[in-house]
Amino acid sequence: MKQILVVDDSATMRHMVMASLHDLTDVDFHEASSELEAIEHLALAAIDLMILDLNMPDMHGLEVLKFVRGHHNYQNIPIIVLTTRGDESSRGATLEAGASCYLTKPFEPGEIAHRADSLLKSFAG
Amino acid sequence: MSNSFDDDNLFAEFCDDYFAECEEHLTIVRRGLLALDNFVNQPQVASSLLEELFRSFHSLKGMSGMIGVKEAEQVAHEMESYLRALREQQVILSQAGVDALIAGTKMLEQILAMRQSKQPAPDIESVIKQIAAVVVATGAGTSAAVNSSAHLTLKPAQIAQLNAAVQSAKQVWLFEFTPVSTLAERGVNVNKIRDRLQQNGELIHAAPRILTTGGIIFDFVVASDASESIFASWENDGITYTPFELNSPAETENSALSPNTVPLLQEEGSPTLGGLGLPRQNSLPSAAPTTSNVVRVDLAKLDDLMRMVGELVISRARLEDNLKKIETLVPVTELRALRETNLTLGRQLRDLRQGVMRVRLVPISEIFARMQFVVRDIAKESHKKVTLELSGQETEIDKFLVERMMDPLLHLVRNAVSHGLESEDERVRNGKSPQAKLVLRAATAGEMVVIEIEDDGRGVDIECITAKARQLGLIAADATLDINKALEIICSPGFSTREQADLTSGRGVGMAVVKNTVLELGGLLTLDSQPGEGTRFTIQLPLTLAIADALIVKAGGQTFAVPLAVVREVMEIQSLKVTALENNEIISYRGNVLPLLRLTRLFQLPVCSNSSMAVLVVGTGSSAVGIAVDRILNQREIVVRSLTDPFVQVPGISGATELGDGRVVLIIDASALFQLSQLLIFSTPHHPNATNNGNGAKKQPQASTFFC
Amino acid sequence: MIDSHNGSEPFILFELVGTTYALRSKFIQQMEMIEQITPVPNAPHFVEGVVFSRGQVVPTVNLRARFGFEKIPYDVRTRLIVIHTDNRTVGIIADTAREFISIPVNAIKPPPDGISGLSGKYLEGIVTLGDRMVLILNPDELLKTDF
Repeated sequence: MKQILVVDDSATMRHMVMASLHDLTDVDFHEASSELEAIEHLALAAIDLMILDLNMPDMHGLEVLKFVRGHHNYQNIPIIVLTTRGDESSRGATLEAGASCYLTKPFEPGEIAHRADSLLKSFAG
Repeated sequence: MSNSFDDDNLFAEFCDDYFAECEEHLTIVRRGLLALDNFVNQPQVASSLLEELFRSFHSLKGMSGMIGVKEAEQVAHEMESYLRALREQQVILSQAGVDALIAGTKMLEQILAMRQSKQPAPDIESVIKQIAAVVVATGAGTSAAVNSSAHLTLKPAQIAQLNAAVQSAKQVWLFEFTPVSTLAERGVNVNKIRDRLQQNGELIHAAPRILTTGGIIFDFVVASDASESIFASWENDGITYTPFELNSPAETENSALSPNTVPLLQEEGSPTLGGLGLPRQNSLPSAAPTTSNVVRVDLAKLDDLMRMVGELVISRARLEDNLKKIETLVPVTELRALRETNLTLGRQLRDLRQGVMRVRLVPISEIFARMQFVVRDIAKESHKKVTLELSGQETEIDKFLVERMMDPLLHLVRNAVSHGLESEDERVRNGKSPQAKLVLRAATAGEMVVIEIEDDGRGVDIECITAKARQLGLIAADATLDINKALEIICSPGFSTREQADLTSGRGVGMAVVKNTVLELGGLLTLDSQPGEGTRFTIQLPLTLAIADALIVKAGGQTFAVPLAVVREVMEIQSLKVTALENNEIISYRGNVLPLLRLTRLFQLPVCSNSSMAVLVVGTGSSAVGIAVDRILNQREIVVRSLTDPFVQVPGISGATELGDGRVVLIIDASALFQLSQLLIFSTPHHPNATNNGNGAKKQPQASTFFC
Repeated sequence: MIDSHNGSEPFILFELVGTTYALRSKFIQQMEMIEQITPVPNAPHFVEGVVFSRGQVVPTVNLRARFGFEKIPYDVRTRLIVIHTDNRTVGIIADTAREFISIPVNAIKPPPDGISGLSGKYLEGIVTLGDRMVLILNPDELLKTDF
């Protein structure tokens, strides 16, 4: 069972992300409404994929990325970063900080499912 | 056009969540905009405030995009851009900026309302332009420099905050939380810990840290005046703490700051432990309630709970009945014990009912926040300078009351600004400050909420009202009015509609509606006024309202309401299927017999001979009965009013309601109907009037415990 | 409301079965045409039912029935007079209501001992205005629950 961590302070958005990944088989979802909570989940569960919104209550998403990549236990976890239109300028910094891929809301459900699927496979392999 | 939800939108099922969460964000935004007013033309806006607003618009934008509400996405996007520019200090917050944000917020409200009622979206062009005009930002991208997480680096704003806390004699602590699975299973997670710390002090810094062993712990720097003994008990939850000291003592000296000035601190002057030019963190605690310990509940679910409580109440009534039946058979001491238990149960049920009702309460700030826009608009239109003061915003009030009181309060506020308050010139001529004041207050007093709308304007002109009332024949020619009578007069429908134009105090329009709404909700409207000094309207409302879903039924030509909470099932029964058994009638129901109570008979209403009737099954098991009515009209939410006057306290009726056509509809007390039928059976069936003079009429006080 | 200058007090006059009655206007909350009355089952015979008036559910008393007269159908002249005493608000139905009038306090005479019977106990005083006699009613008695 693959563990996917969805990090967004909007519950509706988390649900929409999870709905988009509905077709993935053998996955379990963890939800975090803050960055601190996200990191707590990393420490407590073996997370296989993280889907992270950039604007959150505790830290900036970039800081989470840097933090995760700076930790030898977690540095290989694939991370999909979600942003909204207008935040595109952060794309470079996000990828540099370690995002595996970068999606802008609104995203196509099929697109995020495809990305998640292939990231999970490559991480496993 | 993107005017309707795409049918094929995968996220269509999230619409309800979307609207609900948007409303939550808009509530935060309205509160935030109010606070933003204090920072106009200031060099810097409190970062916690900007962050909060920014996040809300960010979420609104993201969700709207996903759901396909393009207009909302676009407007939120523009507003987010302006907030980003403010956050990056590329622009200074201007009045035009605040106005643009308010216009944008109103537009968002409108877009969502239109979308909800499936109407085409409003034109957003001008609002977009208005907001874009205040964004002078260039390249408002996120700055990429990010602090690598070395051990505890504070940012300049945090250091300032820390200094201020020290100045105000607070102790600063470093808390460390190590997350463990066993704690997480107990519900102790980092969000909970953060909330707990925020409740006990000012959270200055919160960040994770990697231990050399590879483990993770969270650091929290908190300024608090709470006693250390409180923290000691937290060790079981994986929290350790030590006093926190800044490494460079120099900086605590050079800043003689009052706590209030913290958000305005210039960054440049402060020494830093971390790098400069970082995206500002938003770990500033705010007065806003943390949303993380708030649960959103569907009103329908609450109604379900209420229904279950209603069933419990019925069961207890049955218990009481059965208890009476065995009174003579049981030894006195046992009977007393049973009775006491039954009474306790009754009390606990009442508490439970009240508890469920209280869940419906929401802060009145939902209303107040909207008033600021109204006041601003009217003040602008009528060229008056008005300061709006709000107090008691945290006061809680039933969600239903919020909806019903919005218009009356808007009306009072509009009236106060446009008529109650004088023009700037007139105020100056009369030796008053040119800046007029309007105060909205709310407070809880016992089981009532008191809302006051007070202005420092010209006051109500009783002379003028008296003259008009005499002229209209509303009072005797030589009668004089006191303030209470004056209020009654200005609230009388004839007075307000005929006289709105030339009543100089201008309080005529729609006052009848205001008063009626307040009365309808079981409240009270009073007026105080001093000529030349001001006017105060006071509204007292019950904290919770008895609202119930009800079936509206017809029996013997009269309409009644039956609370849905007590109805288990509704059936259509052929008259032929009814079996008469002495004075009883029974029908078969799920393999059992069900006693049938005809409303027409219990209430001595004209009987119409239909071939079928509707039967409402009430109660459970052997104590179930069927209430027969002619037909069911519909189901709707009703406001339950008690019938307290002794003239109309009768068995079988628990209260009354009004369905909007001005006619009163009586509410059936199902459990009392059962008792009423027993009375009818035991008294002569040919003279059902016997209930009138017998103990039937007096026996009824518990009937109203159902709802009020 | 009491005009102390000339020692008079405002009253409302209404008619019932050809007799003129008066109630102190301080007890009167409002006066209106009869609209929809909802009957209340098993209520006292003189209670017509409840009406919705200015946001309140108000019990209404048929004064004819209360005084033991025969009921008549309502017409355009029929009036609902809503009385408010200490803590009760009750409407009474009169054949018609005529006017406001100020009555000098010293013109009000106590009811003669000879008047008794059904309506006697409701009387608070009697005043003669010109050539007509007006019976002043005590609202508290009207609203008593001695049914």
